[in-house]
Amino acid sequence: MTWVVWRQHRNQAYFAAAALAAFAVLMVVTGRQMAWQYQSALTSCTASHNCGNLANILNLGNPVLSLLVTLTVAVPCLLGMFWGGPLLARELETGTSQFAWTQSVSRRRWLTVEAGWALLAAAAWGGAVSALVTWWSSPENALNHQNFQPGQFDIQGIVPVGYALFAMALGITAGALLRRTLPALAVTLGFLIFLRIVVADFLRPHYLTALTRTFSFLHPPALPEGSYWQVSGGVTGPGGLVPASTAHGGPSITFAGVNLPVSNLPSACQALMFQNPRRLASCLAGRGYHAVISYQPASRYWAFQGIETSIFMVLTAALLAATAIVVLRRDA
Amino acid sequence: MTGSADPAVIQTRGLSKRYGKVAALSDATITIPEGRISALIGPNGAGKTTLLLRLLAGQARPTGGEASVLGSPPGQEPAFLAGIGFLAQEIPLYRRLSAEDHIGIGAHLNSRWDSESVRDRLESLGIPLGQKVGTLSGGQRAQLALALTLAKRPRLLLLDEPVAALDPLARRQFLAHLAEAVAGGGMTAVLSSHLIADLERTCDHLILLAASHVQLCGDIDTLLAEHRVLIGPAKDTTAIERDHTLVQAVRTARQTTLLIRGNKPVTDPAFEASDVGLEELVLGYMGQHSAPAHLTAIGEGQ
Repeated sequence: MTWVVWRQHRNQAYFAAAALAAFAVLMVVTGRQMAWQYQSALTSCTASHNCGNLANILNLGNPVLSLLVTLTVAVPCLLGMFWGGPLLARELETGTSQFAWTQSVSRRRWLTVEAGWALLAAAAWGGAVSALVTWWSSPENALNHQNFQPGQFDIQGIVPVGYALFAMALGITAGALLRRTLPALAVTLGFLIFLRIVVADFLRPHYLTALTRTFSFLHPPALPEGSYWQVSGGVTGPGGLVPASTAHGGPSITFAGVNLPVSNLPSACQALMFQNPRRLASCLAGRGYHAVISYQPASRYWAFQGIETSIFMVLTAALLAATAIVVLRRDA
Repeated sequence: MTGSADPAVIQTRGLSKRYGKVAALSDATITIPEGRISALIGPNGAGKTTLLLRLLAGQARPTGGEASVLGSPPGQEPAFLAGIGFLAQEIPLYRRLSAEDHIGIGAHLNSRWDSESVRDRLESLGIPLGQKVGTLSGGQRAQLALALTLAKRPRLLLLDEPVAALDPLARRQFLAHLAEAVAGGGMTAVLSSHLIADLERTCDHLILLAASHVQLCGDIDTLLAEHRVLIGPAKDTTAIERDHTLVQAVRTARQTTLLIRGNKPVTDPAFEASDVGLEELVLGYMGQHSAPAHLTAIGEGQ
C-alpha cells in the first residue's frame, strides 16, 4: 500500500523536497552570516561595556529575506491546498477511487495509509521549515525579542507543525466532502485563513490570564523581561481609560509601548508636549495618570506554543474522524 | 432455477435503493448461476444498471432487501473484494501513471494477481506499457482496464458498459476475450450494455431492468422459449390473455400484435405464433414501460 502511495504522490514529494532544499540552503547560508554578525557585534560591545542599545544600532539580515521568512506562514496552507485537497477529491472526481476501492484492500486501510503518509509529510515539511526559520531567527530573537509577537510566533517553534497537520487534514476532509479538487482547494484556503485569524486574534491572548503592569510617568518604565508579548496597553486617568485613538488624528506620544493622542490628554498638559517632556510627565502624573499594559511574559512562550499546537491537533483529529465517516459510510 | 450443480454466484432478494423519496431500484430479486455471462439491460442513461452493479460490488449500500454475492453480503472487506472484478463505466485509471504502474499497484493491493497476463494481453494488442495512461486512446484504456480487472483472477466480473468506448472491431475482440476468460472456468460475468446485438453474441443470461424493477431474469434460451409473438386480426384477445401473460400488445385498426409469455398452446386459429428474438423481447418489455421510467419511479416513492 505504501508503494502505491509513493507511486501516486512521488512527483509532489520531489517538488516539495526540491523547494525545501532550496529554502534550507538559503536559510543556512544567510543564517550563519547573521549569527556571525551578531556574535561579533556582541563581542565588541561587551568589550566596551556598551551593549544596552545594541538593538538600535545593529541591523541583521535584509528586508527581502525577512519577507521570505514571514511568508513561510503560507507553507501549511500550500501543503493543505495542493497535497491534502486533491488527495481524495481527485480520486473521487476522476473515479479512480472505484479502481482503488475494488482491489483487495479495505477502504479503511487504504484511507489510513493514504492520509497517514500525507499527514506525516505535512508534519515533516512544516517541522523542517519551522526548524530552519527558528534557527535562522535566533540572533534576531536574542536581539529584538520578537518571537512572541503575532507573525513571528506563527512561524517559529512547534505551532507550524500543528498548522501543517491541520491544513492537510482540512484539505483531505474538504476533498472527501466536496468530491471536486478546485472547490476543495478554495475551501481549504478560506477556512484555514478564517480559523487562523480567529485563533490568533481572539483565542491566543486568553490562553492564560494576562499579567498587568502599571507605570508612573515620572520614571523610565520597567518593562517586562525578554520576549514578552504586550496584549494591550493604555493610559488611565481620573476619568478611567483614556481613548487610544481620535477621530481626527493629530500628534501623539508613546510611553511604555502605549500610544496616546495628545488631544485626549488634559488640556493643561497638552501645551507642555512641545516644550518640555519632563514637565509633561509630571503634569500627567500629578493629575493621576498612569500607563498600564497587560502582557504575556516571555516565560509563557512555550506554554502558548504547546496550547496552540494542541488546539490544532485536536481539530485535526476531529477532521480525520469526519473524513473516515464520510469515506467508509458513503457510497463510493 | 438453481440446481446444486449450478450454484448461484449472485442471489438477491428484494434489493432496493432509494435516494430520499426517489426509488432508484425496487425489490430486485435475481439469481445468476455460476459460469454465466449475464447481460444487464436497462433504460438508457437512468443509472439503474450502474447502481445494481455497484450494489453487487459492495460500492453502494442497499436501503432494503439483501444480497449474497459469492456467498457473502457485498461489502468493503478484502476477502469479498478479492473475489470480484469490478470495472466502472468511466474506466477509471490514473491518467498520469503508466500501464506498468497500474500493474504494480494491482500487485501491491491484491493477494492474488497475475501481472504476466496483463503484460501478455497488452503486448498482443500493441498497447505500450510505459506510456502514461492519459495518452492512450479510449479503446486502449478500456482494454487495459479489462486486463487489470481480469488480473485479479476474480470469480465474478461486474462490468459496467465495458464496450461503450470501443469501436466495432475492438468491441468484438473485447467480448471474445471476455468469453474466453469466462470459458476458462470458475468465472461468472455480468455486463451492462445498451447494445443488444453485442450482448446477444456473448451472453447466455439476461437481467432486464425497467421502471426501476427487474422485469426478467434468466437464461436467454429459456426466456426466448417462453415468449412468442402472435399476429392476428383486430379482435378481442381475452381468451389468449387468460392462458398467457400479455407482455405487450400493439393494436391497430386491422391488426393485433401480441408479445405473450407462457407455454400453453394458442387455440385461436386467427393468430399466427412466431418465435421471438432477444431484441424483440427486450424492446417488448421496455415498451411496456414506455411511460417515462423516471416518472414511474418517483410515483412509487411517494
